[in-house]
Amino acid sequence: MTPRTFGLGALAAAALAVAVAFPVFAGGYYVRLATGIFMFGALASAWNLIGGYTGYPDFGGAAFLGIGAYTTGILMLRAHLPFAAALLAGGALAVLAAVGMGTLLLRLRGHYFAIATLGFMLVLRQVAANLPITGGGSGMNLPIASAFTPFYYWMLGTVVLGALGGAIFPRSRAGYAIAAIRENQDAAQVLGIEPLPYKILAYASNALLFGAVGGIYAYWFTFIDPPTVFNIDFSIQAVVMTLLGGPGTALGPVAGAIILKILDTILTNISLFLHNVFFGALVCLLIIFAPRGLAEVLRRRGGIVRAIRAELEDSRV
Amino acid sequence: MPLLRAGAVTKLFGRLVAVDRVDLVIDAGEIVGLIGPNGAGKTTLVNLITGIEPPTSGTLVFDGTTLAGLRPAAIARLGIARTFQIAQPFRNMTVRQNVAVPALFRANPAAGVGQALGEAGAILDTVGLGPKREFSARALTTPDLRRLELAKALALRPRLLLLDEVMAGLTPAEVDAEIAMLRRVNAQGITLLVIEHVLRAVMGLSHRVVVLHHGRKIADGPPARVVEDPGVIAAYLGNRRPAGRSG
Repeated sequence: MTPRTFGLGALAAAALAVAVAFPVFAGGYYVRLATGIFMFGALASAWNLIGGYTGYPDFGGAAFLGIGAYTTGILMLRAHLPFAAALLAGGALAVLAAVGMGTLLLRLRGHYFAIATLGFMLVLRQVAANLPITGGGSGMNLPIASAFTPFYYWMLGTVVLGALGGAIFPRSRAGYAIAAIRENQDAAQVLGIEPLPYKILAYASNALLFGAVGGIYAYWFTFIDPPTVFNIDFSIQAVVMTLLGGPGTALGPVAGAIILKILDTILTNISLFLHNVFFGALVCLLIIFAPRGLAEVLRRRGGIVRAIRAELEDSRV
Repeated sequence: MPLLRAGAVTKLFGRLVAVDRVDLVIDAGEIVGLIGPNGAGKTTLVNLITGIEPPTSGTLVFDGTTLAGLRPAAIARLGIARTFQIAQPFRNMTVRQNVAVPALFRANPAAGVGQALGEAGAILDTVGLGPKREFSARALTTPDLRRLELAKALALRPRLLLLDEVMAGLTPAEVDAEIAMLRRVNAQGITLLVIEHVLRAVMGLSHRVVVLHHGRKIADGPPARVVEDPGVIAAYLGNRRPAGRSG
């Protein structure tokens, strides 16, 4: 373990400890805000697995979010399953859907893949709007939870899972396969890598997190309908957060989610108009000035990170 | 004992006959040179052997296993490695990570990432890239990228190694170093098929030379005899390019 990864690990552990204790001393508003940050941190971490590490620009993540949300809702409402069991089933179904769709779609490359995933998501939205079991276009009311702090911890769980995935993935055998496929699929194949199973692994991991977030989201908001959960906005936000923080890095997507959600909250309070312009402008600026995210900017300049590390080392003596 | 046996292998691209009923036997331990003018079908033949493209007809058998229908990854795991004419590095990975990839995915893979990286370091030392192991592959020069291609192929622990113009663009001194390295590789028991424009290199290195012209095999024998073959002289040496020029 290098000093750098040790430092980051220690930092992450400290942040986790603060996060666990946070609802004890923070007010309801801030707990709700943090729950939303974790939710998008998990989505961005999930997108990073397929879009960042694997290089497959998925725009259909909301398909899995919707599957997770509806499975959880239906099982709680109609089968009276406890939330945890319904959520587990939602995550599992999202994974199954990803394996099925991934087998078909992951043969495509680049923007063909992006469009196909978006199409898949829109198809599911139409299906959900027309099935009796989902309540169709009028949506579905879930049972109301007795307390809301548990949602904070559920979402914290998903973001921790996402960050752990992002940290372990690149150091694993599968992570090497994924990186090689992203960099040069033809070269990867003649070195013994069968690409499709590894791409499906990344896609299904992404789907598991989107599905879990969807299930928690449904119970948290107590109402879901097709346009709310099968919503491309989830994917777009996850993409922008990942690009902001640094695609293909372990903690970049989480950092992107924290920065963006806080900025977004402040701007919404100042002006609804500004808040709408903000996302579009940010995407343009990111693509032009920092296409590989803040992590790369920091690495290149070295300034802030090195300064903090020097500070830490000085204080140890 | 033939390691690779190609029987009447043919590849058509539309109406173009890229490889035309080529018979080829490569014995274990041999160094076979494969030469021919531009467009003779050399790289296509390598693509057929490594499963990048399926042959239109004919048979390919490697150590008793028919290669027809096998995907490139499966053929690689059987023990056939190749280098590309234009280097195909994993650009945003370090040199050592590049070489760790095949070590993790060959038939008897390294036990884990740590072991694969250790092994990659040792292989990089043998090809002279040891000092640059932590460089990003993006930062390598053309000769270094060639060495990286070779290192990746070796990390697959192949029995047959197909080298597609590894010496193109190298200086004469670099060519000599490359020849010495390929001899060492062969001495480890790895059979070599060397596709080359640099005739001096092929003639000096190969036990046997095969000449392709318009997709057909027009000569197959010891280097000294092949260079005197009137058909070869007419087809290939008659309009040879300056040695060292890449194609």
